[in-house]
Amino acid sequence: MQKTRTVVLNIILVLQVFLLFLFLFDDRIQLPVWLQVTGRLHPMVLHLPIGFLIFLVTLLFLKNQFKKKSFNRLVFICLLLISLSASVSALFGLFLSLQGDYGTEQLKQHKVGGVVLSFLCYFVLIGYAYVRKRRAILYVGTAVAVSGLLYTGHTGAVLTHGENFVFAPIMKTSTKQISLETSSVYQIAVEPILEKKCFSCHNEGKSKGGLVMTAIEKFKQGGKKGIEWVAGNPDSSRLVQYIHLPLADDDHMPPDGKPQLTATEIFVLESWIKSGADFEKLLADYSDTDTIKNWVTIHGKANDVAQPEKVYHFPAVSQSVIDKLNTPYCSVFPLYQGSPALQADFFIRASFNIETLKSLSEINDQLVVLNLSKMPLKDSDLKTISQFKNLEKLNLNFTDVDGSGLTELKSLTKLESLSLSGTALDNQYVESILSLPELKELFIWDTKVTEVQSNEWQKKYPTVKIVQRLFNDPTILRLSKAILVNEGIIKQGQSIQLKHSLPGVKIMYTLDGAEPDSVSGMVYDKPIAVTETVKLKAIACREGWYCSGPLSVTNFVEGYKPNRAELLTPVDKKYPGLGAASLTDGLKGFTDVLRESAWLGFGENNFEAGFDFGVTPPTIKKLVLSYGNNIGGYLFPPTEVEVWGGADKEHLKLVKKFKTEMPKGYEPQRVEALGVDFEPTTYSYYKIVAKPISKLPEWHSGKGQKGWVFIDEFFFY
Amino acid sequence: MSKEFIDSRFHITRKHFLGKLSLGLGSAALGSLLIPDLFSKKEEPLAGLGLPHFAPKAKRIIYLFQNGAPSQLESFDYKPMLNKMMGEELPASIRMGQRLTGMTSGQSKFPLVGSHFKFSQHGQSGAWVSELFPNIAKVVDDICIVKSMHTEAINHDPALTFMQTGAQQGNRPSMGAWLSYGLGSENKNLPAYCVLLSRGRGNGQGVYSKLWTNGFLDSVHQGVQFSSSEERVLYLKDPNGRDRMDRRNMLDQLAELNSMNFQEFGDPEIQARIQQYELAYRMQTAVPELTDFSKESDNIVKMYGADCLTPGTYAANCLLARKLSESGVRFVQLYHQGWDQHGNIVGEMPLQAQDVDRSTAALIMDLKQRGLLEETLVIWGGEFGRTNYCQGSLSKENYGRDHHPRAYTIWMAGGGIKPGITYGESDEFGYNILRDPVHVNDFHATVLHLMGMNHEQLTYKHLGRRYRLTDVAGKVVEGILA
Repeated sequence: MQKTRTVVLNIILVLQVFLLFLFLFDDRIQLPVWLQVTGRLHPMVLHLPIGFLIFLVTLLFLKNQFKKKSFNRLVFICLLLISLSASVSALFGLFLSLQGDYGTEQLKQHKVGGVVLSFLCYFVLIGYAYVRKRRAILYVGTAVAVSGLLYTGHTGAVLTHGENFVFAPIMKTSTKQISLETSSVYQIAVEPILEKKCFSCHNEGKSKGGLVMTAIEKFKQGGKKGIEWVAGNPDSSRLVQYIHLPLADDDHMPPDGKPQLTATEIFVLESWIKSGADFEKLLADYSDTDTIKNWVTIHGKANDVAQPEKVYHFPAVSQSVIDKLNTPYCSVFPLYQGSPALQADFFIRASFNIETLKSLSEINDQLVVLNLSKMPLKDSDLKTISQFKNLEKLNLNFTDVDGSGLTELKSLTKLESLSLSGTALDNQYVESILSLPELKELFIWDTKVTEVQSNEWQKKYPTVKIVQRLFNDPTILRLSKAILVNEGIIKQGQSIQLKHSLPGVKIMYTLDGAEPDSVSGMVYDKPIAVTETVKLKAIACREGWYCSGPLSVTNFVEGYKPNRAELLTPVDKKYPGLGAASLTDGLKGFTDVLRESAWLGFGENNFEAGFDFGVTPPTIKKLVLSYGNNIGGYLFPPTEVEVWGGADKEHLKLVKKFKTEMPKGYEPQRVEALGVDFEPTTYSYYKIVAKPISKLPEWHSGKGQKGWVFIDEFFFY
Repeated sequence: MSKEFIDSRFHITRKHFLGKLSLGLGSAALGSLLIPDLFSKKEEPLAGLGLPHFAPKAKRIIYLFQNGAPSQLESFDYKPMLNKMMGEELPASIRMGQRLTGMTSGQSKFPLVGSHFKFSQHGQSGAWVSELFPNIAKVVDDICIVKSMHTEAINHDPALTFMQTGAQQGNRPSMGAWLSYGLGSENKNLPAYCVLLSRGRGNGQGVYSKLWTNGFLDSVHQGVQFSSSEERVLYLKDPNGRDRMDRRNMLDQLAELNSMNFQEFGDPEIQARIQQYELAYRMQTAVPELTDFSKESDNIVKMYGADCLTPGTYAANCLLARKLSESGVRFVQLYHQGWDQHGNIVGEMPLQAQDVDRSTAALIMDLKQRGLLEETLVIWGGEFGRTNYCQGSLSKENYGRDHHPRAYTIWMAGGGIKPGITYGESDEFGYNILRDPVHVNDFHATVLHLMGMNHEQLTYKHLGRRYRLTDVAGKVVEGILA
C-alpha cells in the first residue's frame, strides 16, 4: 500500500511538472499525432475529477458513518483519484487546445482554470498527506476546489455549447429590430439562418476551420481554405458545395449530428449568393426578377417588427349600452374581444330610421366603423355622423346623398376610408373631404364624378387612393335569354308568362316553332293566352346588346281528362312508372332522370294504351303525346302513332295514322311534344299505339340495336 | 370528534411535509411537461362569443369552390417542361411511389402531357395565367396565387369534405358553420352562412348537404342552401290570402308553444327552431331585396356577363354572393360543378373556364369599387389538382388528367391577403411541391386568422374532447398575409 501510494504521488508530481511546462510553452510545441488522440479524449476524461470531487463532498457529510481510520483512508484515496484525474484531464485539455479551432479569450480562461485546479488538487493532496492541521486543509481545500471546478467547468461548457446554453430556453429572446425597409436582405433573410445553423461553431470564440461567420468582415475573409463563396455563382461557392456533400462526407456542413439546413434555407443562401452575396443591399434595391427579392417579400415579414395593433385611448362602453343599441336593423359590436372600438352596421332600407342613427350618440367616442350602405340617408343627416369624431371607416354606398353635406364631415379627422359609390355625388363637393388629414381611400364609382376630374384629384392628393369605375369594356355582348315564369303544365285559362331581369328588354316570340328575330315575331307585352300545347320560341333584345339566343320550350296545356286510362301492352320492367296513372297525372319528367314515376319506357313491344271518356265524351280534334328525346341515351321519338276510336275497347276503328320524322343526328335532350290533328270526333274510347324504333340508324353509336320510346303524358283537345 | 380530525391533520412531521411537498412538486412538474402552457399566464378566451379574438383583416368570406378539381396545369401553374417532354414517361424519381386512383392505376404508361392552352404573363407581378382565363388575368395583381396546396385525399368525396370541414369523414362542422359559431351573423335578417350551387358544362361531380353541415354544432350554424330557380329561397312568400301580420301572429303563438315544450324537455334544438323561424320571418323582408337583380346597372350586368340574369348560373351566383356579402353574410359558399376532366380537357375546360372567368373577375372588381374587397376574403379553387400525366389515350388533339393531391393551385384575394404575389412552387413537372407547402389544415388556420380567430382557440367540446376546424394541426401561412 505504502509503495503504491508513493508511486502514484510521484506520477502525479511528474504530471504536474509536465502540465506546467506545456502551459508555459504551448506556442512552441508541435504535437505528435498520437497525442492528438489523447487530446480528443479530454471531453470524456474531464468528467472523472468532477465525479470524484462530488464523491469527496458526499464523504465529508457521511463522516460519522465511518471509523476515523477508515474515513481518513477513504478521503486520502479520494484525493489521490481527484488529483490524478484532474491533472490527466488538464493535460489532455492542453493537447486538445493545441489542435486549434478554438477562440482565444474563452480558451485562455478555461486553460488557466484547468491548470490552476489541477495544482490546487495536488496541493490539497500533499497537504492532507504531510501537514498536521490536515482537517482545515481538507475542508477549505475542498471548498476552493469545488469553486474552481465550477469556474473551469463553466468556461469549458461555453467553449463547446456557446454562451448561455443552459438558460437560453427561459431567457427572453431579444427580437432583433428588423424592418423590410431599413434592414439589408442579409439581415432579414440570411443571417437568421446562419445564426440558427452555423454560428455555434463559427464564432469568435470557436472558429472551426478558421471561419468566423458572426463578424461580417471576418466572414468575408473566409476560413483556412479561403473565401467561402463566388458572388453570383452559388454552384462554385464552397459554402454551398459543402452543404450539398453527402451527409457521411467529413466536409459536409453542418456536420452529421447537428441540425441540418432545410431545403428552403439552402434556397435562400443560394439565391442570396446568386444575387451577389451583398451584406448591405436593401430589399428595394434588388431587381424584381431576383428570386431572393420575391422570397423576402413573401417571407421577410416573419422577422419584421410587428405592426403595432392600433391602440384606442377612449374608454369602453358597457355591454348593456351595446345591447340596448342593437336592433334587427342595426348591429353594434366591438371590433374584437376586449376592444373599446365599435362598429355599427345598418340593414334593410325599408326599416331605416334616422332616430336609430341619432341614438348612437351614446357611443360618440367609441364608434370607429359605420356602415350605412343602401340606407335612405340624406345630406342633412351627415351632421349626425360628424359627431362620431373617432370614425375611421364610413360606408355611404348607394345612399341618397349627393355630397352637399360632405363639408359636415370635416370634423372627422381620423377618417381613413370613405365609400360613396353608387350615390349622386357631384364633382363640386368632393374636394372638401379630400384634404382630411388621415384619408387614405375614397370610393366614387358609379357617381356623377367624371373620370377626368378624379384623375386630376388623384394627382393633387397622391396619398389618397381614389377608386373609380374599374370595368370599362365597350364590347357589345349577347343578352341573356328571357325567363319562363310558369313552368310545368299550364291549366286551362292560364297564360304563359315571360320575363327578363333587365329593365327595358323587348321580348319577341313565336308559337309555331319558327325562329323569331328582332323584327319578325310577336312582341311580348302581356301574358300569352293558350288553349293547347304550343312550342314557344322567344328572344330578348335591348339597346346596347345583341339579341339573346332563342328560349325554346314546349308549353303543355291541360286538356280533356279521360275518366280512366289503361295500358294494353306491358311496360318495361325497369321503367314502369306508376303504370297507366303516369299517363295523365300531370307530372312532367326530366330526360336525365329516367327511373321516376313520370316515365313509362317501351323497348321490346309497342306502346298501346286505352283512354275511356265515359258516356258523355267531349269533342276531340287533337292529341298531344309528350315523350322523352335523348338520342345519345337511345330514346327516340315513336316511328309511328296510331289513334283508334270507338264506343268501347272492342269496337274501334282507325282515326289517324301518323308517321313521325326521325332525327338525322344527335340533338340536345329534352321533353318533346308530338301533336296529331284529326277530324273532330266524339268517341267514348280511344286507343293509342306508339311504336319504338326497331333499328337505330347508321350514324348512331348503337346502330342496328333497338331504340326506346319513353312516354310522359297525354293531352286531348 | 371533529377537533381530533382537525388536530390529526396538523400532526405532520417536517420529513412528512417535505416528502409530500416533493411529491406535489413532482406531479406539478410532470403536469407542466404534458401541458406546456400550464404555468403561463395566458387565459383561455371563451369561444363562440360572436367576436373575433383579435382585430380581423377580413370580415366576410366568399368561397368560389370549383367542384371536381380544375387542372392547375391548364390554369395557373405553368410547366413548359411538360410540353417539352410530351408523351415521355413520368420519371419514377418524380412519382416516388405516389398512390394512384383506381382510374389510372391500371394504366401501363404514364405519358407526360403539357397544357394545350397557351400561357402568358400578366400584370405588374408577371404571374403566368393561361389563355382560358383572360379576365382573371386582368385582375391578377389583386390576387395571391398559392401553387403549393396539398391534401391527403385522392378522391372527390373525402377531398371535398376535407377541404370544407377539415376532416375526410363527413361528421364535422364545415368552415362556414365554424365561422357562424365563432363570429355569429353580422346581419340578423340573414343567415350567417349561405350556399349557392351551379352546374357547369364539363364532367360533373356531386355536391351534398353534408358539405355545409353544422356537424355537432348547434343547427343554427348550418349553411342555408339557396335554390337555383327563380325563387331563390323557397317558401319565403306569404301564402295566398295571408299577410305579414298573420304570419307574425302565427309565429308568436308557435313560439309560445315551443317555449312550453322547451321548459318541459330542455332540448336546445327547440330553441334553435324558434330562432330559425324568427330568422325566416326577417328573411321575408331581406331576401326579396337581395334576389332582385333588376336594379343592377347595365355596367354591372355587362361586367358579370349576361348570364348573371339567369338564376342558377355561376354568374348569377357570383352577383348574388356579392349582394349577400355586402349585406353582411359572413360566409357565402359557391359550388360550381363540372371540373372533373378525366378526359376531353381540350373540349370541356374552355367551357368551364368560360362559365367562371368573367364573373369571377367581375366579383373582384365589383367588391373593389365598393371598397369591400379589403374586408372580404375571396377564395377560388378546387379540392385537389390533376396529374401531369395523361389519363386514357393521349392524342395530339385531346387528353385527360386524373386526380392529384400532392400539389395544386388555389388563389385568394382581398381581406388581408397580400395582393399580386405567387406563394409556393411546384417542381418543373408540376408533381411535387418544391417550396412552402400549404396543407389544407394550414389553409384553414390562415382563413381563420384572417377572420381574427386563433384556430387553436376556436373550439367546441363534443363527445368528451375539444374539436377545432384544424383538429390537431395547422399553421398560419404568414407569407401570404398583407
